[in-house]
Amino acid sequence: MKVYQFLVVLLVFFAFNSYAQLKTVKGNVSDENSQGLPSVSIIIKGTQIGTNTDIEGNFLLEYENNTEVILLFSYVGYQSQEILLAGRAELNISMKPEEIIKDEIVVIGYGRVKAKELTGASSRVKGEDLEKMNMSRVDQALQGKVAGVSINTNSGSPGGSSSIRIRGLSTFGDNDPLILVDGVIYDSEGLNALNPNDIESINVLKDATAGIYGVRAANGVIIIETKKGQLNSKPKFEFSTYVGFQQTAKKLNLLSAEEYAVIKNEMFGTAGQPLPFNNTGLGIGTSWQDSIFSTVPIQNYNLSMSGGSKSTRYSLGLTYYNQDGIVGRDKAHFSRYNGKANISSDLNERWQLNSVLLFSNEYRKGLPENGIGSVLYNTINAFPNEPIRTPDGNYSYLEEVADIINPIAQIENTYNFTWANKFVGKEELQYKITKNLFFTNRLNYNFAMVDTKVFSPLAWYGTGKYANTALNADLDAPQVEIADNVFVERGSSVFEQRATFTDLNYEAFLNYEQNIDSLHKIKATGGISVFHRKGNALNGTAFNIPNNSIEFADISANTAAGGYLNNTGSFEFTERLLSAFLRAEYAYNSKYLLSGILRSDGSSKFGKNNRYGYFPTISGAWLISEEDFFNSKFIDFCKLRLSYGISGNDQIANFAYRALLNGEGVYVFDDVITTGVALGRASNPDLKWETTGQFNAGLDLTFFKSLDLTVNYFIKNTYNLLFQPDVSAVIGSYGPGGAAPFINAGNVSNKGFEIELGYNSTILNTFKYSLNFNTTLLNNIVTKVPEGVDYLPGAYFGVGGNVATRFEEGFSIGYFHGYETSGIFQSQEEIDASTVVQDGAKPGDFRFVDQNGDGVINFSNDTDKKMLGSAIPDAVFGFSLSLFFKGFDLSANLYAAIGQEIIRNYERNQPYANQLDYVIDRWTGPGTSNIHPRLTVEPSRNNVFSNYYVEDGSFLRLRNIQLGYTLPSKLLKKAKTESLRFYVAANNLFTITKYKGFDPDIGPTAGTLSSGVDFGFYPQAKTIMGGVILKF
Amino acid sequence: MKRLLINSKLLLLALTFLGFSGCKKFLDVNPPYGQDAENYFQTPDDYERALVGAYDLLQASFLSVWIGEIASDNTIAGGESANDTEGLHQIDAMTHGAVNNELRSLMRWNYAGITRANYILEFQNSIDFSGKDQILAEAKFLRAFYYFELVKFFGDVPLVIDRRIGASEVTQLDRSPKSEVYAQIEQDLIESAAVLPVIARAKGSATKGAAQSLLGKVYLYQNKFSQSAQILDEVINSGTYSLIADYADLFSVANENNSETVFDVQYSGAEGGGYGCLVCLEGNAGPGFHGIRQYNGPVYGDGNSYNLPTQNLYDAFASNDPRRDLTVLDIDAFIAAQPNAASITYAVGAGGHTGFYNNKYIKRQGEIGLPDDDLTSPVNYRVIRYADVLLMAAEAHFQNGNSGSAQNYLNQVRNRVGMSSINISSVQEIWNERRLELACEGHRFFDLVRTGQAATNISGFQLNKHELFPIPQIEIDLAGGKWNQNSGY
Repeated sequence: MKVYQFLVVLLVFFAFNSYAQLKTVKGNVSDENSQGLPSVSIIIKGTQIGTNTDIEGNFLLEYENNTEVILLFSYVGYQSQEILLAGRAELNISMKPEEIIKDEIVVIGYGRVKAKELTGASSRVKGEDLEKMNMSRVDQALQGKVAGVSINTNSGSPGGSSSIRIRGLSTFGDNDPLILVDGVIYDSEGLNALNPNDIESINVLKDATAGIYGVRAANGVIIIETKKGQLNSKPKFEFSTYVGFQQTAKKLNLLSAEEYAVIKNEMFGTAGQPLPFNNTGLGIGTSWQDSIFSTVPIQNYNLSMSGGSKSTRYSLGLTYYNQDGIVGRDKAHFSRYNGKANISSDLNERWQLNSVLLFSNEYRKGLPENGIGSVLYNTINAFPNEPIRTPDGNYSYLEEVADIINPIAQIENTYNFTWANKFVGKEELQYKITKNLFFTNRLNYNFAMVDTKVFSPLAWYGTGKYANTALNADLDAPQVEIADNVFVERGSSVFEQRATFTDLNYEAFLNYEQNIDSLHKIKATGGISVFHRKGNALNGTAFNIPNNSIEFADISANTAAGGYLNNTGSFEFTERLLSAFLRAEYAYNSKYLLSGILRSDGSSKFGKNNRYGYFPTISGAWLISEEDFFNSKFIDFCKLRLSYGISGNDQIANFAYRALLNGEGVYVFDDVITTGVALGRASNPDLKWETTGQFNAGLDLTFFKSLDLTVNYFIKNTYNLLFQPDVSAVIGSYGPGGAAPFINAGNVSNKGFEIELGYNSTILNTFKYSLNFNTTLLNNIVTKVPEGVDYLPGAYFGVGGNVATRFEEGFSIGYFHGYETSGIFQSQEEIDASTVVQDGAKPGDFRFVDQNGDGVINFSNDTDKKMLGSAIPDAVFGFSLSLFFKGFDLSANLYAAIGQEIIRNYERNQPYANQLDYVIDRWTGPGTSNIHPRLTVEPSRNNVFSNYYVEDGSFLRLRNIQLGYTLPSKLLKKAKTESLRFYVAANNLFTITKYKGFDPDIGPTAGTLSSGVDFGFYPQAKTIMGGVILKF
Repeated sequence: MKRLLINSKLLLLALTFLGFSGCKKFLDVNPPYGQDAENYFQTPDDYERALVGAYDLLQASFLSVWIGEIASDNTIAGGESANDTEGLHQIDAMTHGAVNNELRSLMRWNYAGITRANYILEFQNSIDFSGKDQILAEAKFLRAFYYFELVKFFGDVPLVIDRRIGASEVTQLDRSPKSEVYAQIEQDLIESAAVLPVIARAKGSATKGAAQSLLGKVYLYQNKFSQSAQILDEVINSGTYSLIADYADLFSVANENNSETVFDVQYSGAEGGGYGCLVCLEGNAGPGFHGIRQYNGPVYGDGNSYNLPTQNLYDAFASNDPRRDLTVLDIDAFIAAQPNAASITYAVGAGGHTGFYNNKYIKRQGEIGLPDDDLTSPVNYRVIRYADVLLMAAEAHFQNGNSGSAQNYLNQVRNRVGMSSINISSVQEIWNERRLELACEGHRFFDLVRTGQAATNISGFQLNKHELFPIPQIEIDLAGGKWNQNSGY
C-alpha cells in the first residue's frame, strides 16, 4: 500500500516535471488456454489512445507519461480488465472468458437480480440483437428471438402493428402482454413510437413471477430498458444509418385475361347462360398486382451520445425513420422522429435522480386493409380483361363485379393521415436509507396526442359501387333532403380528430437486501402504485371542401351551406388502478432460492362488489451445480426452477359493469333523423377480472462453458374469461349500439414446452460464432364455455357466409369448423349410387363427408361439420446465427411456424371476379380432377366453408440476414474513430410455405377468433438495405 | 441533521402508505357525461328521447318483410350465392332448421324493441307531466308491434312486461303460451288506441288509426272475425283514410305519408350505412338488397338481387291488372323498352335468378346513402296501408257472414286500379285479391299460414311444422335449454 501511494506521488511528480514525456509499454495478451489473443482492444482509460494486439497477441503502446495510466483490455466474449500500468514497460495479461448471462443483472418487477438467482421463467434479448434486425418496431424485431413469445404481424403496411402473445392465447379479449419501458406502461399498439436503437435490453417475464404486476400480468410482462450512459467515461458518439428498398415478397398467381375468359365462359355456359366472351384470345391482360405493388425506399438515421462524469450518466439519442408502402407508395407511409434522454445523477451519497424522457413524432398514412373493400382485396378480384384506364383516360369501373372497385383509383382517392406526438418517461428519486435499504419514488408519465384527418373526396368508381361518394362520373355532389323539399349538397368531406391520452403513475417502493451471514441472504421489496389514465377526444366532420381537393382538406375551409351536415363528436374516459405489492426472497448458501409475491390491485374497471383482487405467487430455484455432490466435467451450471402463482387481466372496456344509455336510439320523424337515447351494453355488477394460474418448471444448464440450455414446461390455466358471449335475445341487448354484457365465463388452458439453446465458440482465435435456437411447443384448449352455450361463433367465411371459427370446449381457441370434402363427384351415376344424400349435388361438385352418419349431408345445421384446423401453430422455431471472422460478421435469423392453418378468404365468390390460377385444374368432366370442383355461376354447395378453403400455413422465413465488415482499428485511430462498420442486410429474403396467399404470417385482424382468416392481408415487405455504424 | 432528514423521509413514506389506505374513493370513477340507466328519467324530455330509441327497432322490419315473402310462393331468396345469407335460402326451400342467422337476428331485434319500450314503462311513474300518457301509449303500441312479429314467427315466446331481464334471470323464463302473448298485445293496443291522437304528433309517430288497424289485424290472425270487423270498421268509418288515386304513386318516396298511410316505418336518405350493422341503418336496407345486381341503366339503382318475385306471382295477375308491372319488374322487358337498350347491363347473382325484381321496394337511381350506396333507400316500409285495412275488413266481414260489406270493401280496392267489381262467392277470392294488392309487402307467408293455404301453395311446406319458424337453437340454449322446440324441428 505504501509503495502504491509512493508510486502515485512519484507519477504526479513526473507529471508535473516531465510534461509530455513519451513512454512505451509492450506485452502479450493470451486467452484461458495461454494462446495469444489477436485484435484485443487496449485503450488508455479516459483517452482515445490505444492499440490492438497482433495475430500472436502482442502489442506495443506509446503513451504520455503524465498521469496515472490505466489500461483497458477488452475483447468480445471476454471479461474486460483494467490494469494500473504503474510505469511497467512490459505487461502480460491473460483474459478470462465472460461468464455468459449468468452474472448479468436482470431487471425484474421493481428490482434487479442476477440471472443466476432468477426463480422465474424469463427470456432476455440484448438491444444489439434487436438493432441488427433493422425493423421499425420492437415487436417485429423480437419475432423468433424468445421461446414462448409468438409475434404475428397484424399488417405489413408501414407502421402496421403486431400481436404479441406470451404462452398462447389465453383470453377472448385483449391478449397483449403488459409492456413497461423503463417502468412506464406502454400499450402494444403504441410500440410504433419506440425506437429499437434506444433499447438496452428486453426481459420477458413469462411465468407467474410476473404476478408482481397483479391484475395486468396474466398475459405476461415485457420489461424494456433503454440505453444508459456510463460513469466516468468520455462522450461516445454513434451514428448509424441504413437505407434500402422494399418490395413485395410475393405476388399471387392469378388468371390471365385469356384464362379468365375461357373459365368465365365455362362458368356461364354450364349454367345455361349466354357466354360473356365471344373472343377468348385476350392474352395476358391487365396485371392489377403489378400496378399496385411498387418498390419503395426505407431509411433510418440514428445519432446517439452517451457518457458520464463522476456522478452523472447520460445517454441521448435522435432518430429519423422513413418508410413508404409496397402497396400504395407514399399513400401508405410511416415516418418517425425519436428523441431520447436518459440521465441519471448521484445528487449526493444517498440521493440518485433518474430521469428518462422519450419523445416521438409519428406520421402515418394508411389505405384500407384486411377485408372486403381493402386495396389488396380489390386487386385480387379485379378482372384482367379490364384496362386500368379506359381509352378516355378515366379509371375503369369494373362494372361486372359488385363491391369491387378499381384499386388504383381507390389508392388515389384515399387520404388517411395520423400524426402522433408522444412524451413518455419518468422522474425517479432513489434514496439510500442504509446500505441495505433503498427507497424508490417515481412518477411515470405517458402522454400521447393523436391527430387524425381523413379526407373523402367526391369519387366515382362506376355505377352502384359502394365507395361512390359522387352522384356520377362528373363528380356531381349528392343532394340530401334535410327537411321537406329542402336539399343541401353533400360534397367532399373531411374528418378531423384530436385525441389525447395521459397516463400518470406514481410508484413508491422499498428494496431491502441483507446477507445475514455467509449462508443466509434475504431480500424484500414492498411498495405501492397509483395509476391514472385519462383519454379524451374531440372530432368533427365538415362537408363541401373547395375544389374537391386535398389542398383545402381542413374543417376551416368547408363551405357547407348552413352547416346542416357538419357534425362534431367527442369522448372522454378515465381509468384507475390502486395497487400494493410485496416480494420476499430468501437464499440459502446461494443454492436454494425461494421467493414469494403478493400483489393487491384495485381497478376502476370493476364495480364495488369486485374492485379489489389479491395475486400471490411462490417460486423457488435450486442451483444443483453449487452442490458438493455435483461433479460434472461438462456441466458448468445447473439450476432447477419451479413457480406457481395467480395473476389477473382487467383489459376490458371501461364501465362494463354498469348499464349506460350509450346505445343508439335514432329514428326518423318528420323526415328528419332524430336522436334519442337507448340502452347500450347490458350491465353486470358482479364483473371481475379473469385470473390465470400458472405453473412453471424450468431447468437452466450450461455445458462446456459455451452451450446454454433452458427448458421450461408450463401449464397456464385461465379462468373466468372476460368476454361478451352471446346472451339470450330476451335480454334485449341487440338493438343498435347495444351489446351483450361482459361476463366472466369460460376457461382456457395453455400447456407447452419451451427450449432455448445458445452456443458460443471461437475457432483458432479468429473465427467466432454463436448459434441460438429456440422453440415453443404449445397446446391450447378451451376447457369451459359459458353456461347454456355449445360454442361461441367467431369469424365469417365469404360474404354473408356462415361462421367458420369457434370458441368451443375441447378445441383450441378460434378453431376452424366446417364441412369435410372427400373428392369430387365424377358422374351422375356416382351421385345416384352414393349412400349419402347430398342435396343439389351435380357431377363436378364436392362430395361432403356425412359426419353424423344419418345418410344426409345436413346443410341447415352443424351436424355434418367438423374441426378443420387452427391458426395456432403446433410449434414455433427461431434460429439465429452470428459469425465473426477478421472484421467480417455475418448474422442470420430464421423463423418458422409449423402446424398452423389459414382460411383462404380473399376470393370474392362472384361470377366475374378474378380467381387464383389453381382453378385451371378444375373438374371439367369425369376423371379430370378430384381436388378442384367444377366452376359454374349456378347455385352450388362448392362454396360453403370446407377444408378446401383451409390451407397449411406452415412457413419458414429468413427474417433477416446481414453481412458486415468492421474496419481495422489501426486504420481508424488516425481519424479518432472508435469503430466503423458497413453492412448489407435483407429482411424477409425468402419464405418457404405452401400457402397460396401473400403472407402466412398473419395476426388476428378482428379479435382473437379471427386468427388465421386471410382477407387479403397487407404482406410484409422484402427489404434490401445497406448501412453504416460509426462510433467515435 | 442527517438523522433528522432520514426520519422525515421515513415519515413521508409512512404517510404515503397511510394515504393509500384512505383513498378508496380514488377508484370511484364515473363515466363522464354518460347517463346511467337506473336514474335516467328525470324530465319529460328524457321520456321523449327514450321513446325515439324504442321506435328505432321498427327500422329492422326489412328482415321480416323479406322472410314474409321469401318463405311464400311470391319470391325466391336470390343474392350473390346460395351461401349469401344462407338462412334465407333455407327458408326459401323450406329446409330451414334451428340454426339460422336471420331468424336469430329477427328474434334479437324484436326483443330489443320490446326491451326499449319496457324500459320506458318500467319507469312510467318516475315523474308526472302532461303528455306522458301519449308517450306511454306509443310505447305500448310499439311493444304490441314487436310482440306481434314474434308471435307470428315463433308462436309461444317469453312474455316480459314493464321490466328488464338480467342475464341470470333469463334461465327462469318460460315460453308464454301464444294466447297470453296475444292477450297482452290486444290489451296494449286497446289501451294505446284510447289515448293516441287521430293525427300523428309527428310524421311517423303512432296514431289511433294505426293502433286500431293493428288490433284488427291481430284479431284476424286469431280468427276473431267479429272483433276484427268491428275495430276495422271504426278505422274505415273514421274517414281519416282513403285510397290514393294512382297505385303507381304508392311506393315512391315523394308520395309518402299520404291519405292511404295508416302506419309506415320511416326511413331517411340522409345517412347511409355499412353491411356491418344492418340494424343501425336509418335508411331502408330492403330496396338495396332487392336492387338489380350491377345494374347500369336508367330509373333503377344497383343492388344485390335479393327477394326476387317468381313466375307464379307474375302469372297470378290478370294481364290487364296494372298492379302486375308495378309489383313485379320484368327486367329484360323493361330494358328492351328503353331507347338505349343495348347499353344497359345487369348481372345475375348465383343465388338465383327469375328475371323479375321487387318493383315496390327497389333501389332507384339517385338514392345515395354513404358509405355503401347500394345498401339503403329512403323509401318507407308500409306496415299497414288503407287498402290492407279494407281487405282485412272484407275478410273479417265475409267470415262473419256479412258478404255485403266484404264485397264493398274489396271492390273499392279493385276499382282503384281500374279492375272491375266482382261478386264474392268465396273467401278465396278475398285471399287472392289480398295477394295481388299486397304482394311483395311482407304479408304473403303469414296470410297463407293463417288461412290454411300454405301447404298447397308452398312447395316443401309440411303441415304442423312450417306454420311456425323454429326458435333458434342457440336461443334455447342461452335461455337454459329447457324450452321445447316448435313441433317438427
